[in-house]
Amino acid sequence: MAKIGVYVCHCGSNIGGVIDVSDVREYAEGLPDVALARQDLFMCSDSGQELIKQDIRDGKVDRVVVAACTPRTHEPIFRGACEKGGLNKFLFEMANIRDQASWVHGQDPEGATAKAKKVVSSAVGKARNLEPLEEKYVDVTDAAMVIGGGIGGITAALELARMGHKTYLVEKDPSIGGRMAQLDKTFPTNDCSACILTPMMVEAYSHPNIETLCYSEVEDVEGYIGNFKVKIRQKQSYVNWDKCTGCGACAEKCPGKAPDEFNEGLSMRRAAFIMFPQAVPKKAVIDMNACINCAGRTIGSEPKVNAKTGNPILAPCEKACPAEAINRSLMLDPNGTIKEIEVGSIITATGYKVMGKENFKEMAPDSPNVITALQLERLISATGPTGGKLLRPSDHEKPHTLTFVSCMGSRDKNFHTYCSRFCCMYMIKQARLLKEKYPDLVINMHFIDIRTAGKDYDEYYTGARDMGINFFKGKVGGLDMLAGDKLRVNAYDMENGETIEYESDLVILASAVEMSDGTTELAQKMGLQFCGSKFFRELHPKLGPVETAVSGLFLAGCCQGPKDIPDTVSQAKGAAAVAAVPLAQGKVKIDPTISEVVTEKCSGCGICEPLCPYGAITMKKVDGKPRAMIAISSCKGCGVCTSACPSSAIQLHGYMEEQILEQIAALTA
Amino acid sequence: MQIDQKKIDEAVSTIIGYGGTHILDCVGCGACSAVCPGVKAGFDVLCRKLIRKIVTGHLEEIIEETSSWGCQACNRCTEVCPQGVRPQEVVFAFRRYQANELAFSTSSITSQMNLFETGHAVFTDPKANRKKVGLPEEPPTSAYNEQAQKEIQTLMNNSSMGELGLF
Repeated sequence: MAKIGVYVCHCGSNIGGVIDVSDVREYAEGLPDVALARQDLFMCSDSGQELIKQDIRDGKVDRVVVAACTPRTHEPIFRGACEKGGLNKFLFEMANIRDQASWVHGQDPEGATAKAKKVVSSAVGKARNLEPLEEKYVDVTDAAMVIGGGIGGITAALELARMGHKTYLVEKDPSIGGRMAQLDKTFPTNDCSACILTPMMVEAYSHPNIETLCYSEVEDVEGYIGNFKVKIRQKQSYVNWDKCTGCGACAEKCPGKAPDEFNEGLSMRRAAFIMFPQAVPKKAVIDMNACINCAGRTIGSEPKVNAKTGNPILAPCEKACPAEAINRSLMLDPNGTIKEIEVGSIITATGYKVMGKENFKEMAPDSPNVITALQLERLISATGPTGGKLLRPSDHEKPHTLTFVSCMGSRDKNFHTYCSRFCCMYMIKQARLLKEKYPDLVINMHFIDIRTAGKDYDEYYTGARDMGINFFKGKVGGLDMLAGDKLRVNAYDMENGETIEYESDLVILASAVEMSDGTTELAQKMGLQFCGSKFFRELHPKLGPVETAVSGLFLAGCCQGPKDIPDTVSQAKGAAAVAAVPLAQGKVKIDPTISEVVTEKCSGCGICEPLCPYGAITMKKVDGKPRAMIAISSCKGCGVCTSACPSSAIQLHGYMEEQILEQIAALTA
Repeated sequence: MQIDQKKIDEAVSTIIGYGGTHILDCVGCGACSAVCPGVKAGFDVLCRKLIRKIVTGHLEEIIEETSSWGCQACNRCTEVCPQGVRPQEVVFAFRRYQANELAFSTSSITSQMNLFETGHAVFTDPKANRKKVGLPEEPPTSAYNEQAQKEIQTLMNNSSMGELGLF
């Protein structure tokens, strides 16, 4: 017969403030097979854990139930205590009477106490039937993959490479650099973005431990921590990158045009193009959506022959290329190529995009003189469409009055309720740079409130006031388009309690930060979860900010939530450190709470095989008959096969049928 | 300014009770006031300022405020509000509070008397103009229909407006 020990935690006032802990303890004592029940102010404290260990050592208990907070954070702690006491750590069960009782029924202490009793008796029912399980170890592939080649991804890849781990840096664009490459200068020190970023791009690209895969996207991820198999699609560039020297001759001759993504659509680029002047690698690609197939040179076609000279008639890009990197006669696969790699851990650093102005109908989105802040960044950048001169888009005249509008789509229930965190600072930065360069500009900045939490940030803001930039508390309600390409700004000054109305030449919207395109698909491939604000969910908001629910998968930068460059770099270094742990250990534990087939019961129907989301099940012949087999290294213990098996031949360790039935019986008693 | 929690609670629950349900969601950004035609015309205790007065407990102090009757019910405030406050509903709730305390603006009494008598809140005699353009002098509305007027008056007398004893 089992000897179950029940330990009820007050969790300070978290549980004890609502639930009558003594009452729950007394109730637990009376449950069948319960040898003893204790209570403690903090079960997770040293003294609390010692209670468990001592009872095990004294032979008083051989099953442990802790009624406390969430197993998500605390199960490993109590399992550790069991193990140290000399008990198999899987003979432990947790009853979450905080999230499931005291927190949700805070207004009803009696009801919460009654529910806590139910939850405890359910856990005791399960504990009665727990079986000891053994953890297994598997070897680790000593390599890592970083998805996204922005400042977060570059930093993480460099850190891993410096630790000696082979690292694949996967970037969907033709060059690494990300958003930071688009910026002019960076707050709060006004460093030129390119000047501090480009050396890092070069270092990452040339590091012997880093293999940069640009113009590539993750196609598929299989496996588990320590042994991921990743398929990467290297998109078709139509340029032989081994030969391309990045001279840009193809782009000069190419007549095909498309909006320049790097310049946020403010200018046109060619169909054959190099992403930006400091691109790393500096390689050309041909965008087939914009290519007009000059001289009938569709990809894979034979060139026509000049009747007079007998020479083949080539497209301008081919003719211009001095390195012979473009050959349109080759039958290149438009889908590109698939590269398969194996890695032990993965860091996702897919960054962000900003909302387009078309989302804000009250902000005169049809006016060319209403732009997003990222567009302004290109307008003032030396590599931008105007060579760094501030010219308003409608007529390329120098504007006199500028308006900055904060919180467009952020802190807004119609779009995103979160604060995008770095807009206040970059708006102040843009205003400062412009005021320095053009002291006669009138710059009006409208904020709900100004958020400058960060080292040296508030000083940067007060400095902007000293420079003669006007700050107004109050959101801009709307813009009206006026004759002469001007805009009427309808704003409000909270301090005076008065409306503000004036004409502006250029209006800059600090639009909300959102997850990059394609991240939903990526999440599905990797099993990543989203949080309420549609960024990737970290394992724990405070204590696991770079980990995810999928072990071996880590997060860095804005894909986890809006953050500025210093925060992104810090997080990337943190992610690199934790991603290196399994690589450095060389082995990882396999959780034994996985499914197993009882071969004697299996009828070989095969229902389970296609249902497994991890491809862990195969049908193998046993005595000439097909029987399901589960690969322990691939199984994640999701239980889909277990519940689908018509013969009840698949059991999920840690969630066995009799354990679950006892739980249900206790809850419905 | 004194902070009197009891007055704040009373003011907020009064306005919520009259239909300004989302008043506490206001973060005071001022977008509503920025687009409000009433505020622009000088009725400044509308939208943000009105909400601010209420959530700081100054409901009684502004009971005679005439700004609320300057609201044109255009609802632009609701359109631009990032927090779903629906400021126009707060304005209307405030009006209901004023009406129940018989703190009307004279401008609103006139329109309500008009409504009671003619079925139109805003009524000017159209006969001369209609004659000029060759239309029948009397338009087919309640203004020239005694039966309809009687029905409207019955409805109004039996509504909560009738309880105010204006008519």
